[in-house]
Amino acid sequence: MNLILVTFIILLAFTSYYFGRKKALVIQSSQRLTALPKFYGYYLAAWCAAPALIIFVLWSVFEPSIVKTFILQDYTDQNLTKNELQLIYTKVKALAVGTYTGNITNFLDESANKYIQLKGIANSAKVAIILAILIFSLSFAYRSVQKNDRMREPVEIFLKWVLFVASLGAVLVTIGIIFSLLFEAIRFFQAVKIFDFIFGTHWYPAKTFVRDGQPDPELMKDAFGAVPLFAGTFFIAFIAMCVAIPIGLLSGIYLSEYAGRGVRKYAKPIIEILAGIPTVVYGFFAALTVGPFVKEIGNAMGLEVSSESALAAGAVMGVMIIPFISSLSDDVITAVPQNLRDGSYAMGATKSETVKKVIFPAALPGIVGSILLAVSRAVGETMIVVMASGLAANLTMNPLESTSTITAQIVVILIGDQQFGDPKTQSAFALGISLFIVTLFLNVIALSVVKRYREKYE
Amino acid sequence: MSKIIAENVNVYYGSKQALFDVSIDIAEKEVTALIGPSGCGKSTFLRCLNRMNDVIDICRVEGSIKMDDLELNSRKLDVVRLRENVGMVFQKPNPFPKTIYENVAYGPTIHGIAQSKEEMDQIVETSLKKAALWNEVKDRLDEIGTGLSGGQQQRLCIARAISVSPEVILMDEPCSALDPIATAQIEELIDDLKKEVTIVIVTHSMSQAARVSQKTGFFHLGKLIEFGSTEKIFKNPDKQQTQDYITGRFG
Repeated sequence: MNLILVTFIILLAFTSYYFGRKKALVIQSSQRLTALPKFYGYYLAAWCAAPALIIFVLWSVFEPSIVKTFILQDYTDQNLTKNELQLIYTKVKALAVGTYTGNITNFLDESANKYIQLKGIANSAKVAIILAILIFSLSFAYRSVQKNDRMREPVEIFLKWVLFVASLGAVLVTIGIIFSLLFEAIRFFQAVKIFDFIFGTHWYPAKTFVRDGQPDPELMKDAFGAVPLFAGTFFIAFIAMCVAIPIGLLSGIYLSEYAGRGVRKYAKPIIEILAGIPTVVYGFFAALTVGPFVKEIGNAMGLEVSSESALAAGAVMGVMIIPFISSLSDDVITAVPQNLRDGSYAMGATKSETVKKVIFPAALPGIVGSILLAVSRAVGETMIVVMASGLAANLTMNPLESTSTITAQIVVILIGDQQFGDPKTQSAFALGISLFIVTLFLNVIALSVVKRYREKYE
Repeated sequence: MSKIIAENVNVYYGSKQALFDVSIDIAEKEVTALIGPSGCGKSTFLRCLNRMNDVIDICRVEGSIKMDDLELNSRKLDVVRLRENVGMVFQKPNPFPKTIYENVAYGPTIHGIAQSKEEMDQIVETSLKKAALWNEVKDRLDEIGTGLSGGQQQRLCIARAISVSPEVILMDEPCSALDPIATAQIEELIDDLKKEVTIVIVTHSMSQAARVSQKTGFFHLGKLIEFGSTEKIFKNPDKQQTQDYITGRFG
């Protein structure tokens, strides 16, 4: 039903575009047009589609809650709680569409019939109203076309609003995500003190699980200390950067300053392929190839190595990040103006002196920015750590032991069955928002550094 | 006395020939101006004199360029030594994004000229004085060179070029990005510098060539059309083409 209606509106809009253009050509024979003929088409199409679609969307948003109010009116005298009312409404809806399997009481049956009836009325009303609006707005627009009103401005204003709505949508979704994280995190912090979360050194949410009933507050106190997770996250990111920064930076310098055109043409895309490998592939590469390899080497040297080690995860993550650093630093180094290179060469500097003393310092802000972006990528990386670094939150600085990160713990908490409203589930939101704050912070610094660098040459 | 003698210099960019059999004698401690319409090869020729064309992959230079009997267009030439002796100032001022002091100290550092901090300070001061910039910047040597005005930046680049006491300075349209006052300062500076160094300047401004140079060469379409004393070129050139260019009838 809805699909047919929307398709109809869109088809009508297309038709009115062609109609409007044709009309403009007719007008052209007798008087001067106010805009190109296509603007007449856009004008009609916009008036056709926009009001009808707006009403359609608003209707679809508000209809369910209005219907719900009508249905639940019959239950107001029963003194039910909000949750119970919600349950009844769900039952009524299920009964109406035929998926209900419980006991059917008369009362419920009656409500279901009422629901079907209301839905029917609502649907017919919707179609009628939208058709009326279509006729009204089209005839209004057609009259202005006939009068040969100015067409360019309204179309431009319409386009401006379309763009505005698109941006507004993106912004609202972002805000929505942040708020849902925030609210759940706040609920978590009602159960667990924020101090215990930030400074606690013991992360073991599983022990708070109690069948039927509230967990012991004493247990809660010691189960949600996020320090081991933050430590693990930064430790693995640190190992990753130890691999990625030297290799990425040096290859970036090679590609931008030393490599001939032929080498650059092939080497750069190959390095960028690294960025295109799905992280899950890196994950099992780390878990099945690098992890055991590290363990074997360590054992041969007489060290105790767990088969899931921070070193394996960090090293593979570093490889994953190489293309970020090499590609971004290649770009910023290439952006250093040629006349600085000329200035240095003309003084008799060699290539390496020029790179070290002129190009690298000039590109440094951009390079730092790219490294910070890479760090925030490393901090947020999930798949590799889930697979290769272990899931037990050890507080350790030994790269050969297993450790866990914020992202890996969120995965652990949310796979399988979970109870909403349980502190264990809510802790994922608290972890999520801390991670969000950390990466946001890194990104803001990185972008401002990169921006300052850009201003310098423009 | 000749400082640089170029004989039958041909330059190619890929398959395109940019210079055709250019032969020229550049006299010591004089200013030689190279003039001509855009794309005539005068900058290309200038860049042969300190081998800056090496930076361009597809560029190939043929012929002989001798500076004091040293063959410049030779594979065996030590380019670093050459550029220590032949400084260059570019069209657009290009100080490094470093402090004023570091900009001037750059050359002496990479060539290991100064033995001590005092000596380096002395070199920086003398170079800036010779470039007529010392009085303007002596209190802010630790400020970034790119923060200076265009004319000051160009004088800083000249100070940078003379910091290693080169015998020759090449200038590639050094005033084209500057206002008339800054231009006048640079021209005055060129006049002072020629007591000690040989200067080759490429310029689009014929009045500038007439003001600062003793010899002038006129390039057109990759060929050196005429070369002689500036006075003769501007007052009584041998070739009709030169006459036309100087009087503004083509170009």
